[in-house]
Amino acid sequence: MAQRSAAPAVGIGYRAGIRDWTRAHLDRFDVLEVTVDHCIHGDRAQRAAIFDLVGRIPLTAHGIGLSIGTDMPLDLAYLDQAARLVERLDAPAYSEHLAFTRVPGRDLGNLLPLPKTEAVAEAIVAKVRALRSRIPVPFLFENIASVFEWPESNLSDVEFFNLICAESGAGILLDIENLYLNAANHGFDPFEFLDSLPPGLVKQVHMAGGMAVTGDGLPRPFLADSHSHPAPAVTLDLLAYALARHAPAAIVLERDDRLDAADEILGDLERIRACVDAWLKEAHGEAAVGSAD
Amino acid sequence: MAKRLLDRQIRLLEYLTSGGAIFGDDGNAPLDADLQGIDRARLRLEARFSHEKRMEKIAAVFPRTFDLLGAERGAIVRGFVEACPPLDIGRMENARQFNDFLTARWRVQRPTPPYLPDVAACELACAQARIESDGEPEIDASPAGPAAPRFRRKPGVVLVRASFDIRMLFEGARDDAAVIKRDTPLAIASRDGAPQIFELAPEVFDLLAALDGWAAVDSLPETDGLIAELVDAGLLELQH
Repeated sequence: MAQRSAAPAVGIGYRAGIRDWTRAHLDRFDVLEVTVDHCIHGDRAQRAAIFDLVGRIPLTAHGIGLSIGTDMPLDLAYLDQAARLVERLDAPAYSEHLAFTRVPGRDLGNLLPLPKTEAVAEAIVAKVRALRSRIPVPFLFENIASVFEWPESNLSDVEFFNLICAESGAGILLDIENLYLNAANHGFDPFEFLDSLPPGLVKQVHMAGGMAVTGDGLPRPFLADSHSHPAPAVTLDLLAYALARHAPAAIVLERDDRLDAADEILGDLERIRACVDAWLKEAHGEAAVGSAD
Repeated sequence: MAKRLLDRQIRLLEYLTSGGAIFGDDGNAPLDADLQGIDRARLRLEARFSHEKRMEKIAAVFPRTFDLLGAERGAIVRGFVEACPPLDIGRMENARQFNDFLTARWRVQRPTPPYLPDVAACELACAQARIESDGEPEIDASPAGPAAPRFRRKPGVVLVRASFDIRMLFEGARDDAAVIKRDTPLAIASRDGAPQIFELAPEVFDLLAALDGWAAVDSLPETDGLIAELVDAGLLELQH
């Protein structure tokens, strides 16, 4: 049962490739998610276009380059850049992935999983405390789509998240597409995952659509988080299930490929809003029944 | 004694960025001891995803170069993977790495077509100009004083001394019939995100190359007309 029934803000992840289209359709979104790394690595025009949105529409801040899971002290230079951007965007929260992307001398630019153990969780908790001392807004961890598993992992995905969030005070940015892909690729029940999260821990949601890929030695097609296609129906079922247990402030549709398929983006947003409306109707209906008793 | 996680993460990234993992060249050779227990097929998939993402960034900067590499492209990309692991997530950093790799290769192996180095240099310059221009002007930190007119090369303008006149290839020409071998001093600027390529007289190229910092206008009294022309073209910044 959700803690409140206010409608979450629905929007998209801002992408420079559809800057003009996004600006022309601002009234279709309640929120835009800005990836701070796009500001850090983007050109001046891209940064200016992002900063121009401040005050015109609520923005939330997301990161992909912190690599909090690298077994080293936090990259404070990166973190301070992120902190300045979070402040400039007036973002109510800052999210990053529970993952690592780089080690000294190599940056894969792709999110890699961590061994799910208590020792790794403890190290992450210490880093989140340091992070929160530099970035004053709530910090959220996003679940990644992991291609492989470390053999020493002895916690499940949800146990790992719960341990870290309980100890660090971080919330969750639940990527429902990633949850669906991991469940399919690694063989677990995504609804059980949602049941096992403490109610209210999910503060934001990502939606997206991926594709199936094949590869040498893979026994069956692998579902990849390509952000290239409409969100599959099963992820909308998972969204409805999540909404009934959590009260996310924002639902963000991510799209990084086939950005010219604007109809698909708007179609996904419509389906997400319909899902939210159905949940609101049900939540208010339940409340009315309760008050009549 | 258990190995540090960092050491294992380093080994993992070394493997994921290797040709063995990306192209499956390592066959069934045993995985490094630090990676044993991880599914090899999944690691190769991860390596492929990451490599494709990196090459997409590079190809976005070098579309014409990639086309011109033709049948050699596969071998060049393999060589690049082995010689240049990804150091940074940024598009420009990866593009510079690729350009440096090509330049080193072309020192020992003649490029085909011969104007390929100029095309690559121009494409990199277009991307660089786009990154460095089109923004808020930098704050001038020089001490306040009597305002004397001065000028400098506009930030974001990139100079390329090409050995071939390859401008036609950037203006939509599909074949290289128009490419002529001749010294071609170029200035590349970006206006509203679109690259603009100018051919300069050699002495103007040298003048712009020397104008990294501010210079007094009266130091070159006979260039008033030229300065106005370069300012109009967005190659020079004039301050009164």
